[in-house]
Amino acid sequence: MPDALITPAAVIELLTAEHILEPQEALTPDTDLFSMGLDSMAMMQLLLLIEERFHLTINPAEMTRERFATAAALAGFLGEKRRLAA
Amino acid sequence: MSILPASTVDFFLAGLEAFMSRSGQGTHWGVTVLRLGGRPDARTLTQAWEEIHARHPMLGARLKRQWRGWRWVWETRGAIAAPAICWHPVQPLPPDDAVVHERLQGRSSAGELTTPLWMEVFPWGGEGEHVILLTWRHALLDGTGVNLLLEKLAAGTCGEGPPVQPLPRRESIAQVYKLAKPLTDRLHAMTSAGCLSAWVKGMPIGGRPEHRLIELSAEESGRAVSRLRKLCGDFMQMPFFAAIAARTLRLLHEQRGWKSPEIHLHLPIQIRGRSRELIFGNHMGAMPLFLEAESLGSLEQAVEHVLAKYREAMKQAMPKASDALTTLASHLPLGAFIPVVRWTNMGQICSLFHSHTGSFLPGSTDFAGAKIHNIFTIPSVCTPPGLGIFISDYAGRITVTLAWRGEGVSPAEVAAMEQRIRADLTGDAEGRAE
Repeated sequence: MPDALITPAAVIELLTAEHILEPQEALTPDTDLFSMGLDSMAMMQLLLLIEERFHLTINPAEMTRERFATAAALAGFLGEKRRLAA
Repeated sequence: MSILPASTVDFFLAGLEAFMSRSGQGTHWGVTVLRLGGRPDARTLTQAWEEIHARHPMLGARLKRQWRGWRWVWETRGAIAAPAICWHPVQPLPPDDAVVHERLQGRSSAGELTTPLWMEVFPWGGEGEHVILLTWRHALLDGTGVNLLLEKLAAGTCGEGPPVQPLPRRESIAQVYKLAKPLTDRLHAMTSAGCLSAWVKGMPIGGRPEHRLIELSAEESGRAVSRLRKLCGDFMQMPFFAAIAARTLRLLHEQRGWKSPEIHLHLPIQIRGRSRELIFGNHMGAMPLFLEAESLGSLEQAVEHVLAKYREAMKQAMPKASDALTTLASHLPLGAFIPVVRWTNMGQICSLFHSHTGSFLPGSTDFAGAKIHNIFTIPSVCTPPGLGIFISDYAGRITVTLAWRGEGVSPAEVAAMEQRIRADLTGDAEGRAE
């Protein structure tokens, strides 16, 4: 099965469809995810879903504020990680 | 008379308090300490304090069984009068441990505390420094609630007060049982394996609440935060602190020659979607982690193990299982809850309660106009489990509180645990070994 495409839209879909975030307004690629309630438990759920959906394993030490600040930043980080793993 | 919803954690804490009361351990109090570099503004504090008492009927509520529907709810007759904030005369030194011990036993210099919140201001020294002691009843307030309360006090107003909350929807017992099953199976396995806390049958129950504060300097705190980031990134603070707490309990077991194959840790997890205007009532659920003692050898190994167990617990939906198990237990009479838990766990409640209290007033440098030096919490614990390890963070400044009762932990054990905690946080032991 081919790996799912990593785009900001795919990250937003992951965050909302799996109820990791339940924002009042629609998320955009540049929405600040922390102000939407991305806490440590949500982070752990997110890591598990990233593994399942994108087949990428993230070490907690790689989880920096910059990389998880927005859907666009997260998609960029995951895309780069996949490229390096290829 | 009005009814407010109660969470399963409210029920758990009320059951714990009933157990404490019946075993002569009093009421479950905590003290939050604010060290300030100046005099807080009395008007700001008083206004917020009175508004909070006027707008939060939870402060006068008691947990009650609602016969219709057989569920626990908070019953309230409305607002209570705010106790006057107690301003002490200037002292040469800040309030000592004896003052904190008195508050943890629900007493002030004026007598027994009759309201769930009590605030005192202690000016000390010759440079205008002040200490605020905020004493709170844990059945109504947890670490997150304390932070929300401090935010309101610092702002001088509590806003409109809490929104109206609907009573939660009830699920069928069969559904709740199914959700609780992974945890009940795990608890039975733990019981069979003979897992220990800091207390075993034969040791005394109760005694005065005791504590040891481990205040890291700014430089030591900086090293701790940098170690945390290296091992857990920017977000997983709790697994880092939980690993330290579990290693500390393991050290205690080793010193006593006890064999405990696992350590049962209750990690606090925030209930999601709860309004920040709801100060009172508990904000946390519990995520039970069953840590293998053999995997806690070094801090790095322990952190990796806690993270692996955290992932495993999330995959097994342990937070939901924990909530479901407490829901099932809530069908018992309040006073019977903890004894049943103790019986099923071979005398234990669990190894460690919440190992982490949290970070206070993020982004704030002042409290009611006074510069903040540090904020930390000193909770009381009961026996069993006999030991609490709490980690407070204000602006990256780390303070650890070890809490126990009476002579349940010896001075030598306290010293060894402090040394282990300092070494784990700052990496000093490795530094010296090199």
